[in-house]
Amino acid sequence: MSSRRNFLKQMSRAALAVGAAPSVLSWATSAKSGSIDIPGEDGMIVRSFRFVDLETPVEYLNTWLTPIPHFFVRNHMHEPSELNAASWRLMVGGEVETPLTLTLTELSKLETHSVVNTLECAGNGRSLHRPQVPGIQWSKGAVGTARFSGPRLRDVLQRTGVKATGKHVMFRGLDEVPGKVPPFIRSIPIQKALDSDTLIATHMNGAPLTKHHGFPARTLVPGWIGAASCKWLTEIKVLESEFVGNFMNPAYRFPNQAVKPGDAVKPEDTHVVTGLNVKSVISGPLDGASLKAGRVAVHGAAWAGEADIVKVEVSIDGGASWTPAVLGHEQAHYAWRLWSYERKAEGGDYVILSRATDSEGRTQPATAVWNPSGYLYNAVDQVKIHVP
Amino acid sequence: MSHSAKSNRLTRSLAAIAVIALASMSVSAFSQQAAKPAEDLPPGAMQAKATTACLECHEARIILQQRLTNAAWTKEVDKMVKWGAVVDGNDRDALIDYLSTNFSPDKGPYEAPRTSIEKGSGK
Repeated sequence: MSSRRNFLKQMSRAALAVGAAPSVLSWATSAKSGSIDIPGEDGMIVRSFRFVDLETPVEYLNTWLTPIPHFFVRNHMHEPSELNAASWRLMVGGEVETPLTLTLTELSKLETHSVVNTLECAGNGRSLHRPQVPGIQWSKGAVGTARFSGPRLRDVLQRTGVKATGKHVMFRGLDEVPGKVPPFIRSIPIQKALDSDTLIATHMNGAPLTKHHGFPARTLVPGWIGAASCKWLTEIKVLESEFVGNFMNPAYRFPNQAVKPGDAVKPEDTHVVTGLNVKSVISGPLDGASLKAGRVAVHGAAWAGEADIVKVEVSIDGGASWTPAVLGHEQAHYAWRLWSYERKAEGGDYVILSRATDSEGRTQPATAVWNPSGYLYNAVDQVKIHVP
Repeated sequence: MSHSAKSNRLTRSLAAIAVIALASMSVSAFSQQAAKPAEDLPPGAMQAKATTACLECHEARIILQQRLTNAAWTKEVDKMVKWGAVVDGNDRDALIDYLSTNFSPDKGPYEAPRTSIEKGSGK
């Protein structure tokens, strides 16, 4: 980890960068065919330009740590129009003994902790559900892994003290709400807030957060859906009960019982989505690829939220037979495992599948559980290749 | 949202359109194929009203990528009206029809653009 002085230097540089970053007004079209210039974002799929929602092409999901220019971006609202490291404040209040306001400098003086975490949008894979459901039509790449660093949320809450009545912790960010849209505010239970790996992250992969990822500070709720981790954090409030608002109910909820695809579900028959599912994705070969006969290398990533990946299996015959893939050496509790598999392929058409199993005994299903908002898609992944 | 905030937002949106239009013109000499930062909604009787009602808060791609039934579009339109989309009561059904016709489940996939490949990104 960098020293405190470096941290502050980096932060002020990042503040300059954010201040100087071209706003939506100066984004220009690229001379490249069919592409849009968004500074700092490299070859990403533009699901939305205003507000910014960017998906990682599946072929980029091939490194243990995802470089920031390839890390998916999910915004529910407009990004804050002004962010200033010097005037930024973090307010901590609610069911606490002593409310507290922290500057970025004060936050940076707290002990830093790092967590390598696979962050996935709850709606990743939404476009693959049938019947189709409304929302950003993510394919497979609203997921990435980064080393998040910053003080533990627990350390901040220990400074304020939490009253016995404090059971949930709410986060509010500085994103700007259009129209009468409900603000993007959610809460997590106190147990998860006090977990030693839940952070107020100021850095990703050793660099200060970029604006798209929540500069100057965001929460990192490891193993949980991305929506649990609030960007541009400015307020932490300890509550007696779960926060009441659109993004806790009806949004980000999952049916308690399996429902017939296409059926409506009553809010009282649903629960809040928290931890991620067991899931794998094939990052190569790409779907539709034509490959030379001989050794064919299949590779990808597999993750399981708060659980660990214990096995990834690959089938090249459409699921008739499965062989274990080799898991990569790099691992951390909340991070995905890279995996690879090689075998000889003669001429023909192949349906390649990948299937992950985790330490809780969960295995990817052949068909994901349909739900009205298209959350937690995790069907066995599939690509078709041709060997001439 | 207050009136002045709204008119500020509108002024900013118009400025954005002007800048984007200029930017598009300046690159058109180099390439006809650069993706437009702002897409248009498809032609139709409700195009103008849908543009005003929907695109104040978000861009057209959010709509262009959906493939929904009439029932699902009805829910979306009613939710958005609750969230501040200005739709005259007389236009609600026509707007739902317009969206359901253009963005129904049987339509082909929407092809999203990419951001440019950064020089020296190592890719």
